Amino acid sequence: MSVRKRLRIIAAFLLCGIFLLAIAAELVTPYSYAQQFREIPNASPSELHPLGTDGLGRDLFSRLLYGTRVSLLLAPAAALLSTLIAGALGGAAGFLGGWWERAILAMADLSMASPLLFVLIALRAILPLNVAPLVSVIATFLILGLLGWPSSLRVIWAATRNIRNSDFLLLARSTGCGPMRMIFRQIFPNLRPGLFAQFWISIPVFILTEATLSMLGLGVSEPMPSWGNLLRGLEDFSAVTSNPGRFAPLVMLTLVVICFQIILPSQEDLG
Amino acid sequence: MNTVDKVLVIHEGLADDQMVRNSRAPAAFVDGAYGCRGLPRRDVSAIFTGYGVDERELDPRLSQPSIEWIRSQHNRDPGLIRYYGKYLGAAVRGDFGTSESLHRPISQLLAERFHVTLRSVSLAVITAWAAAFALATLSWLFGGWLFDLSCTLISGFMLSLPAAVIALLFVYLRAPVFLAIAVVMFPKLFRFIHNLLSHASEQPHVLAARARGIARPQIFLRHILAPAAATLVALLGTSASMSFGTAVPIEALCDSAGIGQLAWYAAINRDLPLIINLTLIVTLITVACNSFADYSSKLISGEI
Repeated sequence: MSVRKRLRIIAAFLLCGIFLLAIAAELVTPYSYAQQFREIPNASPSELHPLGTDGLGRDLFSRLLYGTRVSLLLAPAAALLSTLIAGALGGAAGFLGGWWERAILAMADLSMASPLLFVLIALRAILPLNVAPLVSVIATFLILGLLGWPSSLRVIWAATRNIRNSDFLLLARSTGCGPMRMIFRQIFPNLRPGLFAQFWISIPVFILTEATLSMLGLGVSEPMPSWGNLLRGLEDFSAVTSNPGRFAPLVMLTLVVICFQIILPSQEDLG
Repeated sequence: MNTVDKVLVIHEGLADDQMVRNSRAPAAFVDGAYGCRGLPRRDVSAIFTGYGVDERELDPRLSQPSIEWIRSQHNRDPGLIRYYGKYLGAAVRGDFGTSESLHRPISQLLAERFHVTLRSVSLAVITAWAAAFALATLSWLFGGWLFDLSCTLISGFMLSLPAAVIALLFVYLRAPVFLAIAVVMFPKLFRFIHNLLSHASEQPHVLAARARGIARPQIFLRHILAPAAATLVALLGTSASMSFGTAVPIEALCDSAGIGQLAWYAAINRDLPLIINLTLIVTLITVACNSFADYSSKLISGEI
């Protein structure tokens, strides 16, 4: 077994472990993410609070687990949404060609011209800032999913165009195969590896973007935890030096993103 | 003090009040969704009930002339085409409107802050490119598997850190802002250049040059760098977009008075004219950079 394969297995196990821990947060920790222990704010790690508490006396370990759940469930959801949009638009552009192709590609180019973070904060600014925490979570990841498609679209479009010009599609067309049948039986199965790769690539990108947005106060709002707003704890230098547990969200986020990078399918895997 | 001044004084007094900002949320949302007051008011109000009603009109401290003034502000929209015509005409003259939160002309804010970001971004692009190119070249020329692996691991680790965390680290280190932007850009550039050089070195003409015993530096300059130059120039254009995007969290957290920090401030205060103008200007800059890079790339590759 090659080193890369071994690394992938380890990364997959780590990701599954973290995912299960986040899913079973209620069983692992007795505290809710919003429960306050006002008599012990900024406490150091102890038996009751393995990572200590934050400035409001909330258990950091519970918040980390619930925050992991938010980031690990919603980043793939946003990635799925952006991949579906990229697949639909890129597939349509590649398959239909002509002015459809030109219009869709122009739209993607226009979207790619503006830095994602500028557009994200502009859109986030349109929405009210003090919405319910759950709404802020959904809004943040929905915006990520709705804006993250242009780079994937180019890849899907190029792949679809190659398939459109392929011999097997010409054969299918000559045998009287209808457009819908061609899309679902010929094109989509061949696009699947590309879509799958784009989905995996988008997840760590969205995790990191959410972290940056939340650290700027424009992402998931309190008291709902996410890796991004847990990282805001690092802004308090005195608390960070007295409690190294504050680094836990950063360690978790970095570990998960590295795992995703390792798991990413290579060219050989995609055939 | 005239009526307009009175309204402004009262409005400024309430500007930090979250309640006021939130009460204007539906109007702001529709404004943003329809291109910053782009649609004629009658059309929008038919769709969104309550749109166009400013909650400030309910403030008992305001006199009738002040309320009339607020209403007149809402009724100024002349229609979609005329609105954008006026906006573009004013933008050409350098008038981008007025910031709602800072109550200052946007062009003035841009003039004050743009050079700060331009300096940081230019220095960051130069630093990141120099470091990434030097390391990728060294890796190709002299690096064994250990050097290669170390570079890949370090860049992989740096890619896994959010830009805002790197900004915080630079706040603690009291290091310059441009260096933080360069650190965020470096791993992406390094990976791209490294892959580009690796791919180029596997080409048959490079293998043939090696077989003929040509020295490695000469192969690098004549057979690898020359064909890859067009792609590298195209990457330079993309770096501009990347660096402006990175400037937002870095400037906001490092307290650098550039347009990145201004964009963050505008987003926090829901200052739509400011944030939309900033986004448009940054988009225009990146389009210009990309077009220039694209043209240069085609010129180098002989397509033009």
